[in-house]
Amino acid sequence: MKVNPQTFFNFCAGHIPVLRQLAERQGEISEAEIIRLIRDHASGHEELPETTWRRLRELQILVATEPGSGMYLLAEPVGRLLSYLFDEANPATPQMVRGYIDSLDALGKQMVRAIEADNVTFVGLAFQEINSTLRRIYADLEETQRAVQNEVAGFKVNREQISVRERYRRIVYWMDRFIEPMIEIVRPDGAMAAAFEETERLLHHAREQSLFNDHPALERNLRYLRLVRQHALRVFQECRKELRPLYESLRRASFIAAGAAVALERLQREGLAGWTPDFIVGFAQIQIRHVPGDAAIAMALRRVVEHPPEQAPVIALAGSTETPPALVRQFWLDALPAEVGRSLPIDDLLSWFAERYPQKNTAELVAGFTRLVFHEKFRAEFTEQQEREYSTADGSLRAHPLRLEPA
Amino acid sequence: MSTLPFLREIFDHCTRGAHLSPEDEPMFSALGANYPAYAEYFAALGFELVRHDREFFYFAPDDPQKTAETLPRIAVFAYILVDHAANQGEPVEDFILGRNFLASTLPHFSLERYAALLRQVDVHDAADLKRVLDQLERIGWMKWLGPDEFRFLRPFHRVFDKCLELSQTSAAPVAASETSAGSESASPGQPASP
Repeated sequence: MKVNPQTFFNFCAGHIPVLRQLAERQGEISEAEIIRLIRDHASGHEELPETTWRRLRELQILVATEPGSGMYLLAEPVGRLLSYLFDEANPATPQMVRGYIDSLDALGKQMVRAIEADNVTFVGLAFQEINSTLRRIYADLEETQRAVQNEVAGFKVNREQISVRERYRRIVYWMDRFIEPMIEIVRPDGAMAAAFEETERLLHHAREQSLFNDHPALERNLRYLRLVRQHALRVFQECRKELRPLYESLRRASFIAAGAAVALERLQREGLAGWTPDFIVGFAQIQIRHVPGDAAIAMALRRVVEHPPEQAPVIALAGSTETPPALVRQFWLDALPAEVGRSLPIDDLLSWFAERYPQKNTAELVAGFTRLVFHEKFRAEFTEQQEREYSTADGSLRAHPLRLEPA
Repeated sequence: MSTLPFLREIFDHCTRGAHLSPEDEPMFSALGANYPAYAEYFAALGFELVRHDREFFYFAPDDPQKTAETLPRIAVFAYILVDHAANQGEPVEDFILGRNFLASTLPHFSLERYAALLRQVDVHDAADLKRVLDQLERIGWMKWLGPDEFRFLRPFHRVFDKCLELSQTSAAPVAASETSAGSESASPGQPASP
């Protein structure tokens, strides 16, 4: 249904705030929201919100997303017009530019066939379409540059509270979504340059074949082709220059913020005990002590006061039932004089010991031997007999036999 | 070697943990003019004199694993400030180093989360916070301009360095994916090539 331009613009003139709000909204919008928006921005003129709502649909400013749906979209042509009027540029996506390039490629192939078939009409139409495509590319590039400039300006002046990491994500989105892929397309050895060169070659070929005789128009198209190509590269390099400092600054700030967040999160989660020295900014601290200060004295006293008491030693008062070995040995030595007295005289004392006490070790035998030799009631005398060997419990002794008799 | 000027003063400052920046004249100029000689002199005594990229000087910690009780306080204070700046959407370094602050309006007790973190390092109120600021002044990270007003000094960059280091070592997936925006390296500390 055709819309009367005068009616359309008259309506628009009276509802600019509403139209601006609609232009700023992205995506679908419900009928209730639209009514509320109309009421919020009702101007002085006498018009019911329901009337405004009806006129928005009649003038095809708002179109239903699907028949019978309660959801509406701003009509695409109106959206473009409002963007233009409100200077709200939309950036061209790489897919859009690729679409133009594909369109030029397809047109080129058709032109080759038209030139082969001497189809003057088709060559003329193709020429116009090429011209139209180039103008759209140029316009989109201009709009993209304005969109980037607006975005950068928005980043710089926008004081709304958006975290650094969020800003960084947005700028990364712009770099990822628009600038870097686009530079790939428009660079001197990229897809756009190849398509333009081929188009230029075909235009020259058409002129040589005398299929297109409007030479001034052809020259204009060729110049335009070169202009758009240079312009595209310049625009995206400019865009990159605009965004790059912001990107670098936010990138660094984002990483700094992330590091601080990591440290604080760890402290929150694991407490100070779980906070390793990795989170601390260290520096040299040499502590030189002279006279101890109050704090040091207080700490020393506190350590003494708070020192845990040691357990008192426990003395074992209960005696053992076993006779100590030393006492047994002493009893044996004391009993020896009476024992040996019953066997005197003895011609070989060590032999007597070895036979009578075979379980005694060398030290005990020598102790017993010494006790008897020096005993006041006995007299000991080494004999002239040969040296002999005497076995003990743990070894042996070599000696000349010794005679023992009463003193 | 023995003719190096201000040796004693520089040594006294640096062994107390102080950082020497342009606020610390004439020691700073002396160090800047003959850094290698000072570094060599102190190295013989067992101290590593560091010249930071942002042009300030300090002694490297002898044992990074050994932390005095004041260090966690300083770290928590600094991280909260960075976190607050980031939440404001401000470029963190410009926010902290590019303006004067009032101790009474610091954001450290503006959120319960911050206050809880500070409590873990025994900072409970404004007086404790003031003590941390005094400590920062002693190590040359900030300068009092009035009873309440102060500004941070260049050595505060050590906090940013630590943040970048933590960010890198934590290998946050978000950050890693974001570095793919350009062809630059993933190192957060290094500026990306144009």
